[in-house]
Amino acid sequence: MTSKKAGRLQCIDPNTAEAYTRCTLPQILSRQADLLGDRPAIREKQYGIWKRYTWKDYLKYVRYTALGFKSLGLGRGDNIAIIMDNHAEWLFSEFGAQALGAVTLNLFTSAVSGELVGALERIRASLVVVQDQEQADKLLDEKKKIPHVKNVIYVDPTGMRSYRDDLWLVSFADLLEKGKDLDNESPDLFDRELSKGRADETALMIMTSGTTGVSKLAMLTHRNLSSMARNWGESEPIGIGSNWMSMSPPAWIVDQMWGSGITLLTGMTMNFPETIETITKDFREIGPSVIITSSRFWEDLASMIRVKIDDAGYINRRLFSLAEKIGRAYEESLSQKRKPSSIMSIFYFMASIAVFRPLLDRIGCSQFLSAYTGGHPISPDVIRFFRAIGLNLKQCYGLTETCGIFQIQPDDEVKAETVGKPIPRTEVKISDDQEVMVSGPITFAGYYNDYEATAEAFRDGWLLTGDAGYLDEDSHLLIIGRKQDIIRDKHGNAFSPDFIETRLKFSLYIKEAVIFGEGRPFITALINIDMGNAGNWAEERMIPYTTYTDLSQRTEIEELILEEVEKVNNQLPEPMKIKKFFLLYKLLDADDEELTRTGKVRRRFVYGLYIKLIEGMYSDKNDIEIKGKVRYRDGHIGMIQTRVRIVSVY
Amino acid sequence: MRAYRGQPRIFSSLDKAQREAELKVTDLSLAFGGIKALHNISLDVHTGELLAVIGPNGAGKTSLLNCITGFYKPSSGTILFNNVNIVDLHTHELTKTGIGRTFQNIELFPGMTVLDNMLLARHIHCRYNLGLAALFSRSVRNEEIRHREILEEIIDFLEMQSIRSELVGSLPYGKRKRVELGRALALEPKLLVLDEPFAGMTLEEKEDMVRFLLELNRGWSQTMILVEHDMSIVMSISERIVVLNFGEKLAEGLPEDIQDHPEVIKAYLGDTTDLELDSLNAGQEQ
Repeated sequence: MTSKKAGRLQCIDPNTAEAYTRCTLPQILSRQADLLGDRPAIREKQYGIWKRYTWKDYLKYVRYTALGFKSLGLGRGDNIAIIMDNHAEWLFSEFGAQALGAVTLNLFTSAVSGELVGALERIRASLVVVQDQEQADKLLDEKKKIPHVKNVIYVDPTGMRSYRDDLWLVSFADLLEKGKDLDNESPDLFDRELSKGRADETALMIMTSGTTGVSKLAMLTHRNLSSMARNWGESEPIGIGSNWMSMSPPAWIVDQMWGSGITLLTGMTMNFPETIETITKDFREIGPSVIITSSRFWEDLASMIRVKIDDAGYINRRLFSLAEKIGRAYEESLSQKRKPSSIMSIFYFMASIAVFRPLLDRIGCSQFLSAYTGGHPISPDVIRFFRAIGLNLKQCYGLTETCGIFQIQPDDEVKAETVGKPIPRTEVKISDDQEVMVSGPITFAGYYNDYEATAEAFRDGWLLTGDAGYLDEDSHLLIIGRKQDIIRDKHGNAFSPDFIETRLKFSLYIKEAVIFGEGRPFITALINIDMGNAGNWAEERMIPYTTYTDLSQRTEIEELILEEVEKVNNQLPEPMKIKKFFLLYKLLDADDEELTRTGKVRRRFVYGLYIKLIEGMYSDKNDIEIKGKVRYRDGHIGMIQTRVRIVSVY
Repeated sequence: MRAYRGQPRIFSSLDKAQREAELKVTDLSLAFGGIKALHNISLDVHTGELLAVIGPNGAGKTSLLNCITGFYKPSSGTILFNNVNIVDLHTHELTKTGIGRTFQNIELFPGMTVLDNMLLARHIHCRYNLGLAALFSRSVRNEEIRHREILEEIIDFLEMQSIRSELVGSLPYGKRKRVELGRALALEPKLLVLDEPFAGMTLEEKEDMVRFLLELNRGWSQTMILVEHDMSIVMSISERIVVLNFGEKLAEGLPEDIQDHPEVIKAYLGDTTDLELDSLNAGQEQ
């Protein structure tokens, strides 16, 4: 064990970590139990109290679970499925099965019976561990279809009384008893099985989301997970006893990454909430040091803070807005790599004592050394807001096939739009057709029983991510979007309409944006203003307007939107900058079939409808006379005759 | 671990003798002035049984429960609980003999938390005296911990973890009903008397409550008397049903017998023969 990073964190020795990458995950656990012994490995809230399991307990339960599985006939190369929420038994089952050389697959507890059975058939699972009666019932209904499942092990015994005579079902408590008995009979059986494991064997499978066609089963080896964990442990502020809160479903890569990778290898403590409803309270009690969630979580949290502050008393409100200004100015100078003046530093210190720290404590975020947001692009405003109040919020990027996140923003180089740099021992490059490619020990072993898809996923040893992107001048990665959604302009430059549209829509005043430019010399945009915000803006400046059509064609609004477009252009590389746009006289509407019912723009349809205006942007006209149809709520169609101005940027 | 939950010690640690709950009501009558609320009611409840009492509005169901739980003193008749006559006992003495109840109109302390409301019910099981409590001695602390553990097991059983430290006044109606059941269970009653536990609940809340009551009765042999209006629930969970009408016992028997009992149908739906005639007449006039 060594100390590093400002002396506050005690970490696993780098040589030990390196040695761990040659072990299977259960082998690592066995060594950690010797090394860390009575330190807390898992905490679980039950009966209102946090109960802890030491590393020794952890190994003991994994040992009994493994031997319990053994007595039910689980062998090397078998597959087991785990249908559980976030509880300690998930990890016991996972490592228990892996210790015997079996492969685990976590499935969503929210999945319907048919989905579960389909997945079980696919992997020919020999055992299934389920959360409770609800999950057991789903399998009992379809028992005939899954004859290969020898037993179903249920964790929560509540309501299972009437199932006692069914020998197909075994309680987890009984499983542990069976394991204990077998351990007494042959005490070295577990260690014998454990030593047979090899690091390059598959440890677990994760079902990819399958947004395009059938979902695939990505196989991750022990070495994948341990390497990923080692790399994270080196680059991020993680130490022995740092806390991770298990919140996302174990069937997703994020909690697998931490549960079966990082917490194990770095000696972190895994915390399980009492129930799903108590997560917020449990989260605050633990005060985790790291978190990875979706951008949605942060956006909701930011707006919740805003609402609460607006409800607060006058003094609190003033204090907060003052502190926020100080925070923003301080963060601004840091991000431009200037050293903040000493006056500024004093102000910032005071603001953080009076406002930021109490606020972060309230939301359970006071202990964060790093917080990450992944998945969808997040509004730069939200990032700036959290960074201003002293939360180290950063963006990251990863895939199931790369054992989760492999791109993170380094602490002192946080940029609003990039996803940072790769973690150690991982290389990223951009292919000729702009696809992001990854190489390193973290790339997965392949898709289960799908050689074709596996072959397609790799090119010359590099894993193809399926995302298009580019590296900026500081070699930070920018993700443009899914490669299949990428369009090229006349000069062959790739751009993603969705990437630009999302960034335009971060503006308060822009409600909807549609980008055009396939095979064209430059990129143009159709923009819908946000009636509420733009209307307020106009009222504050005493600009009179009547309807949406009227407001959208006012020159003041045009200038306002022009500024917003220029801001977005500043973040975009040259070929992706918007050159011309116009403000449409009506909102795109699902009733007019311009949007889908879920609110997505039907690009081709919109192009056909407004072809005259869009083509106008590629001519040298400044305004276009147009007659348009408007469908009113009562169904009848009105005609609008108006003059739409084309706005040139620059 | 989750694998070891669902074993509340107030049930799992008790043997059969401690669970005994034989109730025998004989010729019970209750009058308010000239109104006979109950007239010569006799019924038995046996250990481990779930007896439902049903009847139309004003049939005397709640009056019967109030007599059993000591809120009303009957004009005549006897109530034997485990061979002790409880007619003259006060409510606070009755809880000690092992009868716990919930109320039709929730009777909790809205300004206290769920946990505190339930803790109150534990006072009859407190073994320490005022002096020791003032010193907060080790034995007192250990006992308080034991009480809290028992409550936490009940909270876990009734799935109330997320509301344990909420004020009762801030909870929705269905949750309050659940808290009331929790408080009644904290008394460790031999006989649990439930006055319309399903009233005013959403379908989902009802399903949860049915689950809890079935687990209590079938799983842990908790003896229960249930007064309820929701016929589909009564028919599906009770073992025996007593029907009251205008203070008299109309019928008694298994759910399937009660369902087809002509007198019961008449009491609930009115006289169907008259109805048919009326509707026929109305049809002819048109």
